[in-house]
Amino acid sequence: MTGRYNRVTVETVRLLEEISGRSNVIFDDREKLEAYSHDEVAEKAYHAMPEVVVKPKSAEEIAKIMKLANERLIPVTPRGAGSGLSGGAIPQYGGIVVSLEKMNRILDIDLENLMVTVEPGVVTNHINEVLKDKGLMFAGYPMSLETCFIGGNVAENAGGGKAIKYGVTSRYITGLEVVSPTGEILRLGGKVRKDVTGYDLIHLFTGSEGTLGIFTKITLSLLPLPGARAVLLCLFKSTREAIAVVPKLLRVGRIIPTSIEYMDRLSVVTSCEYLNEELPYRESEAMLLIEIDGKNIEEVERDYETLGDICTRNGAFEVYVADNRTTIDRVWNVRKNIAEAFKVKTAHQSLEDIVIPTASIPDFMEKLEGLQKKYKLPIPCYGHAGDGNLHATPLKPDDWSPEKWEKNIDAILTELYRITAGFGGKISGEHGIGNKRKKYIGINLEPSVISVMKSIKKALDPNEILNPGKIFP
Amino acid sequence: MKLAVLIKHVPETDNLKIDEKKGTVVRKGVESIINPLDLYAIEEALRIKEKHPPASITLVSMGPPDAEKSLREAIAMGCDSAILITGREFSGSDTYATSLVLSRVLKKTGNYDIILCGERATDGDTSQVGPAVASFLDLPVLTYVSRVELSDNEVEVDRIVEEGIETYSASLPVLLTISKAIGVPRLPTLKGKKRAKSASIKYVHFDKSLFSPGETGLEGSPTMVVKLFRPVVKRKSVILKPRNEKEIDESIERLIDFISERVEL
Repeated sequence: MTGRYNRVTVETVRLLEEISGRSNVIFDDREKLEAYSHDEVAEKAYHAMPEVVVKPKSAEEIAKIMKLANERLIPVTPRGAGSGLSGGAIPQYGGIVVSLEKMNRILDIDLENLMVTVEPGVVTNHINEVLKDKGLMFAGYPMSLETCFIGGNVAENAGGGKAIKYGVTSRYITGLEVVSPTGEILRLGGKVRKDVTGYDLIHLFTGSEGTLGIFTKITLSLLPLPGARAVLLCLFKSTREAIAVVPKLLRVGRIIPTSIEYMDRLSVVTSCEYLNEELPYRESEAMLLIEIDGKNIEEVERDYETLGDICTRNGAFEVYVADNRTTIDRVWNVRKNIAEAFKVKTAHQSLEDIVIPTASIPDFMEKLEGLQKKYKLPIPCYGHAGDGNLHATPLKPDDWSPEKWEKNIDAILTELYRITAGFGGKISGEHGIGNKRKKYIGINLEPSVISVMKSIKKALDPNEILNPGKIFP
Repeated sequence: MKLAVLIKHVPETDNLKIDEKKGTVVRKGVESIINPLDLYAIEEALRIKEKHPPASITLVSMGPPDAEKSLREAIAMGCDSAILITGREFSGSDTYATSLVLSRVLKKTGNYDIILCGERATDGDTSQVGPAVASFLDLPVLTYVSRVELSDNEVEVDRIVEEGIETYSASLPVLLTISKAIGVPRLPTLKGKKRAKSASIKYVHFDKSLFSPGETGLEGSPTMVVKLFRPVVKRKSVILKPRNEKEIDESIERLIDFISERVEL
């Protein structure tokens, strides 16, 4: 496919400099370009160098870049913070990386309509920092919220730890400004909470992994900020017991927790060692982290007692409570640092993102156990038990050579994904397909479905220059 | 074995607002918690209690009525009872007046074998109250403790000092200030939280049999905060952008000058 595209010439660079200004173009500087060659996927196989990086400041500049790229048949890869986990922002065939880092303004906070309009390069957490004093929040909550950009959240339809109560990013997008692959500026939706005027293009672009358009403005609907929150950390002797509690929390407790996170023992131990934290994990095979939010601490206290009692009655042998921010952060840190802790341990791993119907988690875990035995490698598992989205992470054993790892990982992933599909699950719940999982998409999607998706891509991007080499094998 | 732990209710540090005119920390609207460094004292007290039954842990704090929240949190971790010294007569106390008040209350409420404190509070940052309480009570004091070994009527402790670790022993009663090196503090449990909710907290108000007028609060404080302000960090960076060989040489020379002015090469 590389042959289809033209290289970036010095003349193209000059034209890009004319569009976005000399200081916003990086070319011929390997060290600086390298930073744009990877995301958070550690495996070198999923990295690729851009030929040039442009940092535009407006939709108009991006439209011009797209038109230029179409004329010259140069691939364009949009990029947010580079915190992705599927290689989505990697310039697979070189060409131009459009980094949205300079489009980082909060354009409008509308307190009457409870909406905020932002540019794609705003750090997700920053939106909430600004809204905090106004008693409002954007309910998207990817685990990387302190570094990721909102544009990337929309591109991947990021999920995260609060999906069980608040859903995923797409729920909150009411308006989008998108530059199409051919360089048209499309204005979709607005500040309305209902809109069936024509096809729902907003939700077509959301989760399109930068292959259908580049977002330049995003309007998000807001919710009132809960006045109080608390976290329970519940220790169980088995995964089966831990997972069996999850539906009971909603059915018996009649409370929707903000988060229900699952961590197996190896995940907890590794994260605790990384953080110098101590949790009494020795007797615990599985932990649930349950967050509750509410209007005030009295309400939250009532709810956490109800949920904590349900856990205790159903096998939790200890339940810890964190109800101030410092302690809440301490507990969440263990969960949030699992991925990083494994990364420090070994460069060879595959952070997966499968999602299955929640009731199948215990049976899935048994199959996962079998997979670990078969290949003799550890596959720690943690993630969002509330919505069945689990980050199973095959790790290279110390006594495996990198070559042996390379040789086996494909078979391991194929088997993992087949198990997932067997439960009616999907190979990615929130990280996306990108370049990392594209060869496995057929495990989930029938040829007829892939064909519809490809026609949509072709209709919007006839020259296939926007983020090529992603999603489809 | 009777243990006492002195704890302080402090504002969460990332929320800290200061009133520069009054020279005080603004507490209104800011969530407060147990001084994070006191958690280590609580943890060590709980470990002693577990290892040497029967033992009881009494928490003592001086602060606003809201400090009850921190005391209940410590009870949820496993402490037994709590005393809160509160009232406007105490407000504005410096470390001297605070230590005096704490020591009088400790003396009145029980003969404690070991009194434990955090190494300092994250708001005042003085490390003075623990040792000063010991001085008012005429007790031996060991600070920055990283290990405690208890036998009969004696403790052996390690202290973290700049050059390494010192080992001391002292007879009971004794006052220890505990460093972070002691270990990771436990989390409060749901059972503990429920127990803490109904635990009764003993309030101590200004009482003439304990304190003379003028001994507490601002009046009883020999020191005062003259000024409180946020330091402004100014960074003056210079970026050298050489465009040719000659300028590269010049830049290197400037860099060497810059470094040698600051570091002994």
